[in-house]
Amino acid sequence: MDDRTNFGPAQASGIAWAQQARNDLLRIVRINEEIKAIVGVAFKINIMALNAIFLAKRAGTAARGFGVLSHELRVFSQDLRDSMVGLTRLIHACVSEVSHVLQDIRQTRLLHQAVESSRDGRLVEVLAERESRNAEHAQHLVVLRKQLKRALDDAFQLVELGGMLAKSAKIEAAYGQSFAASLAQVSGEFDGVVEEIRTSLEALRRSAFFTGR
Amino acid sequence: MKTTKTIFQDGNHKWVAIVRDPDRPDFLIDTNEYLVTHGSQGLLLDPGGAEIFPAVFSALSSEFDPLALIGVFASHQDPDTCSSLALWLEFNPKMRCYVSWMWAGFIPHFGGSAETFVSIPDEGADIPLDGLTLRAVPAHYLHSSGNFHLYDKAARMLFSGDVGAALLPAGESGLFVEDFDAHIRHAEGFHRRWMGSNEAKRAWCERVSKLEIDMLCPQHGAIYQGTDVQRFINWFDELQVGVCGG
Repeated sequence: MDDRTNFGPAQASGIAWAQQARNDLLRIVRINEEIKAIVGVAFKINIMALNAIFLAKRAGTAARGFGVLSHELRVFSQDLRDSMVGLTRLIHACVSEVSHVLQDIRQTRLLHQAVESSRDGRLVEVLAERESRNAEHAQHLVVLRKQLKRALDDAFQLVELGGMLAKSAKIEAAYGQSFAASLAQVSGEFDGVVEEIRTSLEALRRSAFFTGR
Repeated sequence: MKTTKTIFQDGNHKWVAIVRDPDRPDFLIDTNEYLVTHGSQGLLLDPGGAEIFPAVFSALSSEFDPLALIGVFASHQDPDTCSSLALWLEFNPKMRCYVSWMWAGFIPHFGGSAETFVSIPDEGADIPLDGLTLRAVPAHYLHSSGNFHLYDKAARMLFSGDVGAALLPAGESGLFVEDFDAHIRHAEGFHRRWMGSNEAKRAWCERVSKLEIDMLCPQHGAIYQGTDVQRFINWFDELQVGVCGG
């Protein structure tokens, strides 16, 4: 009954399956930690955008273009936060599904052992039902994995747009006359932060949770 | 796989002990499960932990139709008593779990639905089994705060959960207590530490002394029979419990 010393083909594949589920859980947890960090940064962009709006107001007509871009960056930070909320919801759904899968694995292992040691044929039907439910959970996880990948791709597109806004703000800062230096500093910070998020999201899109490697 | 041993039989009324799995890993405490059958129905007492489900299921099914089990009786909430519940319910979702009201909201974490649990009030309850009446006897604080033993008056058998349990050393795996004085040494430390209340212990000893008992069947260790039953009750009555260390 010790699965480390006495297992057949079903248990062997069960062990691989369990390893895969444990890896998935670990990878989702890492994705979640990264998303939490991005949410913190998105909040920072919102504050930075507010400051930039005030700065542009003080600079007057010389920073009109910069002011428009600051407003857009503020909208971007809100969109980014909404996007992260959606990602977090999907991650929680993935964690829940992987937890189901881990529970399935244990139940299935024990039922397999019972089938092998018992002469009660009806247990085979119970095992078949259990395996059919396992397949449902596994399929649901496949769907969630795809949804999460799509949501990450969408977030990445959004951040690409944010990057363009930040770069445009850098150009607009040059026209800020006596405020040019301050505007350049603010737009440079924007660009840096957005680049940081872009790098994080790019890494997440390559996570082994999606590629299996 | 565990082995089954019929320890009482009168026609279609049986007590079967499901015991001693040679393949059990050492890190799992050994447990005894008991099957009570009467007529066409059966009740499994402390069905055991999830990890030993395969061993218990296969042993039980060699003796009795597991679909004829009406339920399980859980003496208390510990994982070694009933964490296999979800697996039994996968096989037969109609099974019920008789347990102290205190744990009826806790044990569902092992599995089961709202319909699964039959709460036993503190004073105990009768459990019907195809014309036979079994009695859930209060044993609170021995060791769990909501704890029951199961008495079968017709068979004169008492399932005593952790009371009477002994942690037997390797090589001493007899099903029945043969040398009380030697055996009780393996029970002493367990009872001192696991049993939390001298008052509760006293009340239990008085309660069960009034019952006619041929066998006292614990969840761990060996079964007490004949005069050893009263010897055990007297020994337990005098033992100071709720003691840590020393």
